[in-house]
Amino acid sequence: MDIVLNIKDLKTFFFTREGVAKAVNGVNLCLERSKILGLVGESGCGKSVTALSILRIVPHPGKIVSGEIFLNDVDLLKLSMEEMRQIRGNRISMIFQEPMVSLNPAFTIGNQLIEALRVHRRVTKAEARNLAIEMLRMVEIPAPERRIKEFPHQLSGGMRQRAMIAEALLLKPEILIADEPTTALDVTIQAQVLDIMYRLTQEMKTAIILITHNLGLVAEWAQYVVVLYASKVMEEGPVEAIFENAKHPYTQGLLRSIPTPTQGRRQNSEKLHEIKGVVPSLYDVPRGCTFHPRCLSCKAICSQEEPPWVTISPGHRLACWLFV
Amino acid sequence: MAWKRFMEHRIGMIGLTVILFNLFLAFAAPWIATQDPLKIEPKNIASPPSKANFFGTDGLGRDIFSRVIYGSRISLIVSLLSVLAAMVPGVILGSMAGYFGRWVDIIIMRFMDAVMSFPAILLAIGIIAVRGGSLYNVVIALSVVYTPVFYRITRGSVLSLKEKAFVEAAMASGNTPSTIIARHILPNCMAPIIVQITVSLAYAIIAEASLSFLGLGAPPPAPSWGNILSDARDFMMDAPWMTVFPGIAITLSVVGFNMFGDALRDVLDPRLK
Amino acid sequence: MLKYIFKRTFYIIPSLILVAFLVFFLIHLIPGDPAHVMLGDSGTEEDVAALRKSMGLDRPLHTQFILWIEKVGRGDLGVSIYDKRPISQSIRERFPVTLTLTTLAMIISLLLALPSGVLAAVYNNTRIDYLFMLVTIFGVSIPGFWLGLMGLLLFSLHLGWFPAVGFVSIEEDFFQGLRYMILPSITLGLYMAAVVARMARSSMLEVIRLEYVTHARAKGLTEWKVIAKHALKNAFGPTLTTIGIQYGMLLGGAVVIETVFSLPGLGKYLMVAIFGRDYPVVQGCILFMSITYMLINLIVDILYVYFDPQIEYQ
Repeated sequence: MDIVLNIKDLKTFFFTREGVAKAVNGVNLCLERSKILGLVGESGCGKSVTALSILRIVPHPGKIVSGEIFLNDVDLLKLSMEEMRQIRGNRISMIFQEPMVSLNPAFTIGNQLIEALRVHRRVTKAEARNLAIEMLRMVEIPAPERRIKEFPHQLSGGMRQRAMIAEALLLKPEILIADEPTTALDVTIQAQVLDIMYRLTQEMKTAIILITHNLGLVAEWAQYVVVLYASKVMEEGPVEAIFENAKHPYTQGLLRSIPTPTQGRRQNSEKLHEIKGVVPSLYDVPRGCTFHPRCLSCKAICSQEEPPWVTISPGHRLACWLFV
Repeated sequence: MAWKRFMEHRIGMIGLTVILFNLFLAFAAPWIATQDPLKIEPKNIASPPSKANFFGTDGLGRDIFSRVIYGSRISLIVSLLSVLAAMVPGVILGSMAGYFGRWVDIIIMRFMDAVMSFPAILLAIGIIAVRGGSLYNVVIALSVVYTPVFYRITRGSVLSLKEKAFVEAAMASGNTPSTIIARHILPNCMAPIIVQITVSLAYAIIAEASLSFLGLGAPPPAPSWGNILSDARDFMMDAPWMTVFPGIAITLSVVGFNMFGDALRDVLDPRLK
Repeated sequence: MLKYIFKRTFYIIPSLILVAFLVFFLIHLIPGDPAHVMLGDSGTEEDVAALRKSMGLDRPLHTQFILWIEKVGRGDLGVSIYDKRPISQSIRERFPVTLTLTTLAMIISLLLALPSGVLAAVYNNTRIDYLFMLVTIFGVSIPGFWLGLMGLLLFSLHLGWFPAVGFVSIEEDFFQGLRYMILPSITLGLYMAAVVARMARSSMLEVIRLEYVTHARAKGLTEWKVIAKHALKNAFGPTLTTIGIQYGMLLGGAVVIETVFSLPGLGKYLMVAIFGRDYPVVQGCILFMSITYMLINLIVDILYVYFDPQIEYQ
């Protein structure tokens, strides 16, 4: 296995006046080169903070408290700020959910793409401009020479996201972190954007961490899945194993709640499934297994001690007392 | 709940204390002032601070300390009246413009734009120039100057609230516009209006002092802080205390309102912090 | 872009007319008969009548207004009752002083306000920020004229660094002229500095939390670039608007400061005219200064597009 990113026991906390929010509390993650990993979970479970931690741009008052993040064999958390800066946008890139707010509205697309290039490579403005146009063409934006002079608000949502992808892949990074890349897009555009993303990264052999709450996307595009709940990993494994043989009650609940055409319609009495209860606040994560208050198979020990890892099959493991 | 957060806000509490102290001084002036602020003492011209005259005496031998204390009355009354006189028409016009929209909005807006096109002090000076210098005219001038800002704030709030469901419900129940505005919309706009009141009060105190200093405000021998400072100009070299103390009074007075206003803004709309 | 400029310019025309009308109408707000008031007791009945005729006060209101607008359009603001000189000429002579004063004040204020506001935002909730808030609260609370007086007291009378009276034009002698301008400019600029600094800080604070700032960091830009290029450009828009509005405060404050420091500018001219009941001068000055203010704000509006390109399309 060629591992390009190895996150070990990452802990990122937010120290606020209201208390300590343990956004990421002991997360482990292994990303293989050129593969796509789906990081799945509900809102507020710590997925985005994990991504920001990898790049070490967690906003104040957040701090990475402990852990190791190995890019190949270098621990990113031990690098100096300058060394880290050279990795950002260069060897690890990130794209965000809402390109309307993540692309700077005051600068043209061209300006931002050229900037991304010139931060890390010695190229002239003219060379950078040509590379940018080429990249825009590769993400299937029509008339790129014209688009380059336009501002983000002049492009459609899908085009903006593709422009972001172009910017992120300009430097041929080893890893692309995509934080909810299609959530803000129309369904028809979603497939288009992901398709482009997939194609390009395959050519460049870039590994992708696909962060999303949309299990359908994960099923279609990811090869490996990590399920996050309230700052901890519940289950992880190859995509087929997770979707066909999920063992953790949370994962099962998630999969069950994907609506099928026969559910929730008035003619049919099949109800929509839901996981009862609400996601806990990160200031006050439950003791023991973080999912236990909502788990239908909860045992006494689940509320007292954190469950250990149990391997079900090669690559497929989960943290649950039921399987110990 | 907002009250508790306010208590925790040190700057706000300091501001509030200063304001209350200010009000107290103004109210209790006759008992706190050591002498008659208007009494001329030819034997005691421009004397330095002493036990008899805490702040010294001015060019006519009057006790500066007492004049400053009585001056707080003038500054507070003038600012309160001007801000009130600006707030009432401002809020009314703003609600009308925001609620009824269309040509009502356009006409009022044009007029307010025109008023706002004048630099504030210039407009006040202009009005006083033609009407004559007196505190009454200062109040009128300042109220004209401050009305547009209340208008704008109210209009903005009303516009955004107009779309909300509870307003539509009130409209559907057949209430008259004035009821809807008064009972449903306005109570929800109060936060920015209240913040603006404190800000305007702070401005008004400085404005009144500046206008009086220029000779456009309270006619002598009224002990307006601006007047006292204007009188002090002739004695700057020899009697610097005449310049120092009244100015400190103005500054502290205004600081109180500004601190209070800042804290209010933080508490009522933390997004602006 | 040109379309936007035209649109904005057209937009102020109604306001311009209204402003002109208000200034024109000012004379009619005088309690009693304007001509009578202006001449005071020194005029006979014939003088008063003659003055009324020459000022056109015997004609109907709208005629007066149109005549007045015509004259103003030609650049003729009338003649001063006091010194019988054309007002527009006096304004032309004195405006450079006021312009120098306000421009210097603006420069000083921006040099102080922008870096400190940005710094306070970047170091939000630290001691730097608290110090900033404390200083600026006092900055907006100290009355300008008192600050001027205290400045005179300390730096001119006590320390003798700057002259207390007199004036040398900057056009004649740059450095000497500067000596006379420094104290007044700093005094005038300090209040504006405090206001603009606070606006810059709050604007920066809003922007810094936005996603394009995180994105800029994620690209590997240095923190300096992130703040100075990405954050600042977006934050500057509202600050620019504040600067435009504050220019009005500078103009008004110039009146006060010129009085405190006895500078021969427009403000002093205006004040003398007020006490001398020289109403044509009062009208002329107020009109001139207001139009200048409106033009400045027009320029600010147009510049705003550079900082927030979305405005153009709204």
